[in-house]
Amino acid sequence: MWVAVLFISCNPDQSKEKTTEAPVIALADFNTKAGEWVGKEVIVEGIVDHVCKHGGKRLFLVDDQGDVHVDSEKRFDDALKGSQIVVKGIVTEFRVDEAYCLQQEQDFIQKHKEGVDPDSVYNQKMEGIQYYRDSMKTAGKDHLSYYSIEYISHEEKK
Amino acid sequence: MNKLRKWSRILHRDFGYFFIGTTLIYALSGIALNHLNDWNPNYTVERKEFATQISLVKDAQLDQNVAALVKEVAPREELKKYYFPQDHYIKVFLGGGSSIVVNTQSGEGEVEFLKKRAVFYQANFLHYNPHKWWMWFSDIFAGALILLSVTSFFMVKGKHGITGRGGIYTALGFLIPILFLIYLLR
Repeated sequence: MWVAVLFISCNPDQSKEKTTEAPVIALADFNTKAGEWVGKEVIVEGIVDHVCKHGGKRLFLVDDQGDVHVDSEKRFDDALKGSQIVVKGIVTEFRVDEAYCLQQEQDFIQKHKEGVDPDSVYNQKMEGIQYYRDSMKTAGKDHLSYYSIEYISHEEKK
Repeated sequence: MNKLRKWSRILHRDFGYFFIGTTLIYALSGIALNHLNDWNPNYTVERKEFATQISLVKDAQLDQNVAALVKEVAPREELKKYYFPQDHYIKVFLGGGSSIVVNTQSGEGEVEFLKKRAVFYQANFLHYNPHKWWMWFSDIFAGALILLSVTSFFMVKGKHGITGRGGIYTALGFLIPILFLIYLLR
């Protein structure tokens, strides 16, 4: 009995934290509005499309209009897949620019040379770099911003 | 020396017995998680293609129609949520991680059934430190592995001990990771 009580009291239930105060951003608007909220707390709501199988510390939140990745220091429960959740977290920005592309290119060439990546994988990775460059050119910008959320808490909606 | 040998044997034997279960948990999950890119270590995945006549376009009947779809293609599963990832595609989430994707124009779809892998799911769950008490227990286990290594130096005397064959095996056991380090960090 006491053991059970201790286990329950020591097990932090992340879903119990209140998700209030921070502004609510619709997933449809996330990519356009996230730039204003980098480093700040926001709230988003969506369905968990999947929890990353590589460690379970990332989930993909979706709805009909948009999506966002949510990263956590702790593992997410697999059972969240398909659940409607409200997430509170901090907006983070990942920048892709020419320096990043060059660095990636060097890594890919090295791995290809060492035989780590076969031709097909190498070509696919290089196409990805080209895609970044084309996107920057099309947008007339020297970088691309990819936004995600650093997890603080969540509530599951029934 | 005889006393040290005696106690080394006792500790090695008893800690060895006690941690057989934990060793198997970490060994199995270690192999499973080493090959994450080759398989899903937690679930078996079964996919089944189908075609449906049920309308899945966005209208007032959609909730009932999605429920009917689940009843038709995955009658044992519980409906959780659904959304439209792209135009003309609906994704339906089912209990236990299973899901259905349907082309709403053609009615063709695929259902993916996930089932937890017995033993591996539980071993992997523990491997990822699900609770701080388990973390402490696994720290004790790690300490016990060190103890098992150290006691093995003193358990056997003579040509089969650490001054003979045991020493050669121990040296090889160190050499292999060192060679990997030299190769990988060069």
